[in-house]
Amino acid sequence: MNISAITTGFPTSSLGSTIKPDFGAGEPTSPQGFGDLLKNITQSAVAALQSGEQTAIAAIEGKASIQSAVMATMEAEQSLQAALAIRDKIVGAFLEISRMQI
Amino acid sequence: MSDPLIASMSVSSSGLSAQSLRMRVISENLANSQSTGASPGADPYRRKTITFGSTLDRVSGATTVSTQKIAHDPSNFAIEYQPGSPAANAAGYVKMPNVNSIIEMADMKEANRAYESNLQAVRQAREMVSMTIDLLRSGN
Repeated sequence: MNISAITTGFPTSSLGSTIKPDFGAGEPTSPQGFGDLLKNITQSAVAALQSGEQTAIAAIEGKASIQSAVMATMEAEQSLQAALAIRDKIVGAFLEISRMQI
Repeated sequence: MSDPLIASMSVSSSGLSAQSLRMRVISENLANSQSTGASPGADPYRRKTITFGSTLDRVSGATTVSTQKIAHDPSNFAIEYQPGSPAANAAGYVKMPNVNSIIEMADMKEANRAYESNLQAVRQAREMVSMTIDLLRSGN
């Protein structure tokens, strides 16, 4: 399974480059583990939600236009949905592997 | 941000902002359609016009719409005989604003329609994004 293909195709910025686990000096850097991937997805979803909420609050206070608030909220909702869908997929894959008979 | 669907939503969002600004100008014109000057012979409210221009959004590479200029309509004022008005000149005539409410109504309708079509574009783009995300869900 090519996880790096998923991370580079994902629209939010924090996924691709943040965590590179170090497995000792001699080894080449390995791709991200499931845990790191889940963590990154959750973080980016939370960040998108937070920015959407900030714009919504600014609009309620009259500092931003209704249009920008709606757009930011919608964008946040969509990246959350995408993150959730990818997370479900990854968790499904993990469960699949953990159920495997050895 | 370079995703075309997200970019199309931000383009439509700029269209929404442009049309809402146009609506503001129209309501200013309508509200001030009877605003005369304060002193004898003074000019009354002059009708405002709004023009739009295309702008390249360098982040997404899409062409958005922006307000080019809010200018004033240079056409002549209507003259009315109102000797009691503080803006009346020596002969009793008052300059009235060059606002034609029928033109403003037609403009308003046009702004409304343009806003509606931008909204529809947003709706459609959002649906396409959701449909794509749903691909991940259903094929479990």
